Amino acid sequence: MTGIIDAHGHLGAWFAFAIPDSSTESLVRVMDGCGVATMCVSHMLAIGPDSRAGNALLLQEIERFPGRFLGYAVYDPHDPEAARRTADLLDVPGMIGLKLHPDTHEHALDGPGYEAAFELAAERGCVVLAHGMFGSPWCGPQHFATVAARHPSVKLLMGHAGLFPAGFPAAAEVASKYANVTLELCGSRTTARHVAGLVDAVGADRMVFGSDALFLDLRVGVGRVQLAPIDQADRDLLLFGTMTRLLEGCR
Amino acid sequence: MRVVDVNRIVGPVPTGDVPSADAPGLLAELDRLAINAACVVHSHDLYYDPTAAAELPADPRLIRVPVAVPGPLGTGVPAGARVVRMCPAEHRFLLTAPHGIALARELAETGVAVLLALESVGPGEIHRLATEVPSLRIVVINTGYRALRELADLMDTHPEVRVDTATLCGHLAVEWVARRYGAQRVLFGTGAPLTDDAGPRFQLDHLELPADEVELIASGNILELLG
Repeated sequence: MTGIIDAHGHLGAWFAFAIPDSSTESLVRVMDGCGVATMCVSHMLAIGPDSRAGNALLLQEIERFPGRFLGYAVYDPHDPEAARRTADLLDVPGMIGLKLHPDTHEHALDGPGYEAAFELAAERGCVVLAHGMFGSPWCGPQHFATVAARHPSVKLLMGHAGLFPAGFPAAAEVASKYANVTLELCGSRTTARHVAGLVDAVGADRMVFGSDALFLDLRVGVGRVQLAPIDQADRDLLLFGTMTRLLEGCR
Repeated sequence: MRVVDVNRIVGPVPTGDVPSADAPGLLAELDRLAINAACVVHSHDLYYDPTAAAELPADPRLIRVPVAVPGPLGTGVPAGARVVRMCPAEHRFLLTAPHGIALARELAETGVAVLLALESVGPGEIHRLATEVPSLRIVVINTGYRALRELADLMDTHPEVRVDTATLCGHLAVEWVARRYGAQRVLFGTGAPLTDDAGPRFQLDHLELPADEVELIASGNILELLG
């Protein structure tokens, strides 16, 4: 087995709860401890109040830890210069795509503010990871269906596979219908049993492991897949196989 | 290393088809995850009739945790229990009203520990309970990754408050709690099947703590509470 690729990570801190050690050093140490070779990350400052400053910090941290992180530039739909700025960011080595957080930015995934982001992603062939949340007015599975149909060449990761277990069937339905939608698995309410159920529903080749570290403990996310009641071939797809395929041409 | 899950449900649950719907299924899950034993609340006690004490097959690996409900429509102190669970939200009672305090005092006087889910009661009520009955041994369960500051308020103030690892899944949160308050106040738990068991079990094997502290978390602390 090659090293694990974590498709959904973060750097930085967050206002709504305490992270006792939010240093990138601590994250790399935990990655080393549980076999995660590479983490695809966005910066939490960028997801929160300041995409420009947060994206700049992201580049610094990627450079500080060569080979350990790949970057998502956060696309702020309220920033009038977002299209140009994120296009520039995607030129930087190690940047693999865009991170959209419709819930924080209170802008629907299928809204006009994100159209340029999807056009950019289609042009560059990069990955788009969007926060997904069943029941959200901004980013429920139905919003992913709309943009997947509108931009069929964009490699779209549905973050958290919809987040709430009640939404997993709807997320699986969207992934089954749209070949460009891949389910990403992190979430504090997700269980290994849910992972196995989604593998049965959509196939591990349409799913990627993510942890949500530093929001969440990386080890808990890794363990959920490592100890899930699934075949080893499917486990390998979740932990690195599917994401390796999606990253082809992104770096 | 002996591993005991302090926070588990046996029996069918309303939100899904789970392997632990019966005792053999639960035991198979424990085997699969190398968990030696579990403190179990029966799902009928949680979601059907908390006063009836549903039957559970006798098995040394399954440690029965009865639910306790205060007041004239409650359970009193369940006979023979060393650990009980109280569920104020699910069973609709006031934890720190006179009946709740009276039951808590009985539990404390008889050395019975209580599991309290943060999602069921909230940190303010746990603070009031621990203030009123400081000798009551409380294990806060299902804390979630967002509540670390509130948990710190509780654990700084009340030395008999402990925490389990179910959903205590913020980045290195378990280590932070163990270092600040001592590993003797952290217990391995999963909340399964409603919350994940595989992740916490894997985390237990990868904690950045000395082996003797991990063993306390894995089983030593709950075995001490169980006497």
